[in-house]
Formats: sequence, C-alpha cells, structure tokens
Amino acid sequence: MRHLPKHLRPRWRYLVVGLESWAGATFARGPFQREVWYAAQNLLGDPGSADADLTVVRFRFADGAGAAVVRVRRGEVDRARAALACVDEVDGRRVGVRVRAVSGTIRAGEESYLGGAGGFGDESTVVLGPDDERGTGRRRADGAVDAATSTGRVGATDAETSVPGRSDPANDAASDDN
Amino acid sequence: MTDGGDAAGGDGPDDGSERPDPPYEAAFASPDGDATVARLAQTARRYGYGGLVVRSRTAAFDAAALRDRYGVDVVPAVEVVADEPPSASGAVGNFRPDYPLVLVRGGTDALNRFAVEQDRVDVLAAPLSGDGGFNHVLAKAAAAHGTRVEFDLGPVLRESGGSRVRALKGLRKLREIVGHYDAPYVVSARPASHLDVRAPSELVALGTEIGFDADWVRAGLAEWGRLAARNRERLSAEFISPGVRLGECEEDDR
Repeated sequence: MRHLPKHLRPRWRYLVVGLESWAGATFARGPFQREVWYAAQNLLGDPGSADADLTVVRFRFADGAGAAVVRVRRGEVDRARAALACVDEVDGRRVGVRVRAVSGTIRAGEESYLGGAGGFGDESTVVLGPDDERGTGRRRADGAVDAATSTGRVGATDAETSVPGRSDPANDAASDDN
Repeated sequence: MTDGGDAAGGDGPDDGSERPDPPYEAAFASPDGDATVARLAQTARRYGYGGLVVRSRTAAFDAAALRDRYGVDVVPAVEVVADEPPSASGAVGNFRPDYPLVLVRGGTDALNRFAVEQDRVDVLAAPLSGDGGFNHVLAKAAAAHGTRVEFDLGPVLRESGGSRVRALKGLRKLREIVGHYDAPYVVSARPASHLDVRAPSELVALGTEIGFDADWVRAGLAEWGRLAARNRERLSAEFISPGVRLGECEEDDR
C-alpha cells in the first residue's frame, strides 16, 4: 500500500525504559511485549491501549538488567508511563521498570540510553550486614549486589558485603543513565 | 535526546528534585522486604526521589551514612502491625520517642479508628487492606488529629483482576471522603523491594489515570518529607511544645 502523506502519518514518541530484575533472570522481547500490552489493556482498556500503541521496538535484556524502547503515539506519553509502571512481572520474574527518557526518534533514544546497561560481574560468597546472612552474591558494575540467601533473595549494595570494594565504582549513587 | 516536547506531557517529570518539597517513598526493607536499606536508597536516588522512609523497624542501617552516600534523606520509621488497638497503643507509646515517623497499619475498623484518633500516630497505613473501612467520621478525626491517611497504590501496580478492581474502588472512595474533609494524606506504592519501586513521574501518571489530580499525588509523595522534618524538629532537644522552643538568651536579657 502507498505510504500515507506525511501530515496523516501518526507521530510517535519513544520511551526509553530501564529494566531490572534479579541476577540471572533472562527473558526475551516477546514476553515483555505481552506484559506491556496486558498492562495497558488492564489499565487503559482496549480503546486506550489501541490509542497508545506501546510497541516494543528495541529490546535488550540479559542477566537481570536491560533496556527497551517503546513506541507511543504522541500525546499518550503519560498514559503509557502509567501502563508501563504496572508491569511488575515478565515470565514470572519480578521486574523493576522505569522510564528513563522520552525521545522523538528511536535513534536518539537508543544512542543515549541503550548503551552499556548494567550487567553482573563476579560471583562470590558474600556475608551481608549484621545478621551474618550468607549467600551467593552477584555484583553489578554499578555497585548493586544481588544475594541469594537461605531466606530468599536480597538486594544489597557492595558496601554492605563482607568484601566490599570489588565492584564499587567511584560513586555508586551516580545515575545509571549510561 | 529530545525530551518529548509533548503538549499533553508537560508535567516536567524531572523537575521534581528542584522543588522545595521533593517526593519521598516509604518502603519495607530487609528482613520485611527483599532489599536492604542501602539498595533501596540507591534505587530511590536513581528514580528521582528526595527521600526514603524505612517502614521496617528491624532493618539495621545508618541513616546519616546513607544520606551522605546517596544524597537521599533516609527516615527511620516503624509501621506498627497489631490485631487490636490496645496492643497497637502500647507499641506506638514504645516507639514514639525513638522514631521520627510512627505508622499504624490499618485493616480493621477498630485499628483505623484508633490510628486517626491518636495525635501520636503520624500515618494510618493501608487503611483499606483487610476488611477495614473508612468513612466521614474517620476523615474528620484524621483532620482533627493530624493523622495522615495513606493512599496505597501498591495493589494497582502489582495486583490484577478482582483484587485490583476492589483496590481501585477503595482508592476512589477514600479520595472522595478525604478530599471532602480536607484530611491530610500521603501517597505511596508500598514497595517491598528495589524492584517494586516506581519513579515519582510514573506514580503521578498512574494517579492521573485512575482519577487523581497530578499535583495532588505529588503533594502526597512530598508529605512524607514534610512530616519527617516536622517530627525531627519535635524530637530535637530545643523543642518544648508547639510554639515554645528553647532559644538562646541574649546577654542583655539577664
């Protein structure tokens, strides 16, 4: 079919979405897209969901960290934000979701924000805090540590482990907008 | 990157930290939740919060050190969970002198009523969890005693189906009652791990979608901070009672 004349083409915004999960968790674009649509449909209903579009156009996720670019119709950015906030699990894995930026083009979004997102470094036994909880800790480049203890998973930071400083960047409070 | 430039999206999400009252989130930390206070503080900082209220009394942390490291105001608090008002009352009395914020988790009519009728209680947390109800009597009491009523967005973010619908119904009812009597309130997603935390702009967008006013949600997120600042001043040695404080005497006054 012929392309629409320019003034009739939909105008898009692209949400750069930061994704986080426990160390070792992996899921693909398909399940994430399904959850996004599911969340949008549940919150905005079928008409709102259709208006917002919410197609995942770029996706990268491995070992508990990643990012995606989600296409939204211009003017629906806030509704898309609300729907994305309601994504709490993908493939049964709990996820943290955050809109890092809104961009006018895919390229601008992915260049600035899909760079070196997260990723886990070494794996070692760590002892956490005053309770002497012991478990396998996976350290993230940004100073976060995911520990698997006997009582379940605990999110911690490098400084709290028995051997701090192994992954600690100069400032682990710095923004992760890399 | 261009920042949207949307006519509809003009809420300037990242300006939140520049305002005098930054948003706060009130989270459960390990062992009640799945993340340590430090991890939550790191997350709060990234997500654009100005402060973090720690609802878990048993969590061990150094609030001052975390504040220096992450630039987030970490407020130790306790969320009292009790079956009956008498035991809640005892716990509130015990913890009040040591914590800037004392919350009581509602969930039954008796507990909700107890919390809003106590000057010593700062926040009635999750009033509509369990089978607790909320009505105009409680709203008036909350306004008179300064107990903040918590709007819990957690079920809207993390539940689905019938329980989510019930939560939405409850939030709407609560909003109408609290709004009518101008009772004080706070807003939170009640996160129990760093993965449950959502950024303030997302919570504002969600609130708008379910019928709240955007500024109203922002004020509810910032209210935690105002409350903490007020109570810290009250806990400080110079404070005697509202309006009365220990000042420095001028030399000539003797």
